Amino acid sequence: MQSTAIQAPADSQGGNALVGDPLLTLQNCSLTLNDTHILRNIDLEIRQGEFVSIIGPSGCGKSTTLRLMLELLKPDADDSSGAGKVIFPKVRPRRGMAFQKPVLMPWLTVRGNVELSLSLGPQKTPQSLRRGKAEAALELVGLLAYANYYPKQLSGGMQQRVALARTLAAEPELLLMDEPFGALDEMTRDTLNLELLKLWENRANGLKSIVMVTHSLHEAVSLSDRVVVLSSRPAGIRTIIDVPLPKPRSAGFVSIEETQPYQQTIARLRRELHRED
Amino acid sequence: MRTDVSRRMPLGILKRYDALLYPLVFISLLLVAWEVSVHVFDIPAYMLPAPSDVLDAMDSDLINHTWVTLQETLWGFLIANIAGFFVAVMFVHFRPVELSLFPVAIALKTTPLVALAPLLVVWLGTGMASKIAASALICFFPVLINSVKGLRSIDAESDELFRTYQASRQEIFWKLRLPASLPYVMSALKISSSLAVVGAIVGEFVGANAGLGYVVLVSSYHLDTDIMFSAIFAAAFIGLAFFWILEAIDRHFIFWQQEGAD
Ligand SMILES: Nc1ncnc2c1ncn2[C@@H]1O[C@H](COP(=O)(O)OP(=O)(O)OP(=O)(O)O)[C@@H](O)[C@H]1O
Ligand SMILES: [Mg+2]
Repeated sequence: MQSTAIQAPADSQGGNALVGDPLLTLQNCSLTLNDTHILRNIDLEIRQGEFVSIIGPSGCGKSTTLRLMLELLKPDADDSSGAGKVIFPKVRPRRGMAFQKPVLMPWLTVRGNVELSLSLGPQKTPQSLRRGKAEAALELVGLLAYANYYPKQLSGGMQQRVALARTLAAEPELLLMDEPFGALDEMTRDTLNLELLKLWENRANGLKSIVMVTHSLHEAVSLSDRVVVLSSRPAGIRTIIDVPLPKPRSAGFVSIEETQPYQQTIARLRRELHRED
Repeated sequence: MRTDVSRRMPLGILKRYDALLYPLVFISLLLVAWEVSVHVFDIPAYMLPAPSDVLDAMDSDLINHTWVTLQETLWGFLIANIAGFFVAVMFVHFRPVELSLFPVAIALKTTPLVALAPLLVVWLGTGMASKIAASALICFFPVLINSVKGLRSIDAESDELFRTYQASRQEIFWKLRLPASLPYVMSALKISSSLAVVGAIVGEFVGANAGLGYVVLVSSYHLDTDIMFSAIFAAAFIGLAFFWILEAIDRHFIFWQQEGAD
């Protein structure tokens, strides 16, 4: 593991926790919205230092699961098997979300959009530090030269990278991604996946764990340590598969598909997805 | 589509002059044709005065009356827009306010202003106040509707983005709702700029001793059609100039979105 690469900031409570300690736990989480039963008894532990992917049939509740982790939604309290809980170790980790769409503010420049995540909420960054942090994040995704552009002047892939920079600038410990590159063409997507992988392997800015929702088996297997397979609605966890690929993976990323463990894992996931039950 | 880039390019400048040149040439031709036909067909002045006669009728009196109408228009516009936007903010943040006031706003919209204007004169007198009120009343509804629409135009993802960072209500308002509403508010301003002139003139028709509406009315009694035309032109000019200024502000500041509201 790359535990040595983790730079734990002094103010972070989990700073001296070990890799492998839970960062966020969904305990028996069920969710009903407007009488629609969406999630069914989800038990899932996200540990420090791991990259977890979530796959499942469309509309099953993957985004909803991320919303639970972000506490934008609360699990049902009156489930027959006890109330659902979202559990954190002592202090909530800083969470950042990358949405399927870039969700950029068209009236702000690229820099302004990145600074947005630093200028909201109780944990906002002091004004004088925002610009530097925003530019560092833009540098990370290779878009510093576009800091003064407006979102409309950028391609879809670039916009998605700006969104990623915005998320990273706030230095999340837990990075949640909802099909972040789903709307992009395959080549751009591949490039961005590799960038993400490198970023992850360098553990930029106190990043501890990533949870990514994806529709792509390739993305799930090539990037993550574990893949969570959800069943169709009401979604429960069908299985969780460990990916037996060596790390770091960025060096051999382009030829990862040729390896046997990769192909076996893909085949296994496909079987799980199509299993009738 | 209008982007920041295209406006800086030389082509954009050319197009802007085009937009001025074509109407100017067309209007000049129209005026010449009008002048010529009045003389050729010997049309009586009380039916259709020649443009040169209308120009003669534009004296310092007209300027004074224009100034009166302009002030009424501006005040009405200002009051309606501030009040309309404020009520819209209330609507969006406090549901009971919307539920109780929306029917009133609809009733206000459906009541013809012409029917209300005499009442305004009774209440506020024949001075400027009644015209300002008429002008504000006619502007209020479109401003309100567009502002509400604009303040509600944020998408679910933006809202979630802000909530992810635990943004406060104030932050959501200043950094999301308000900027998102600007294109809508801008078109509300443009719509109400023309309506504000209408309101002021309707008010003047009903009971006034100054203003362009008053001039139109009085000149119609005396068949001073040239004076009437001069007042009509002045009123049209106020509306146009007002609209152009707002359009220029819109182009300059609301560069990210042109479509948006009605
Ligand atoms: N507010 C709501 N009220 C009722 N049902 C909802 C609500 N929000 C989402 N749903 C339903 O919950 C289900 C899960 O939605 P969710 O967006 O989590 O699915 P998903 O797995 O992310 O889908 P996709 O693959 O299309 O992104 C969907 O069937 C949706 O119709
Ligand atoms: Mg989804």
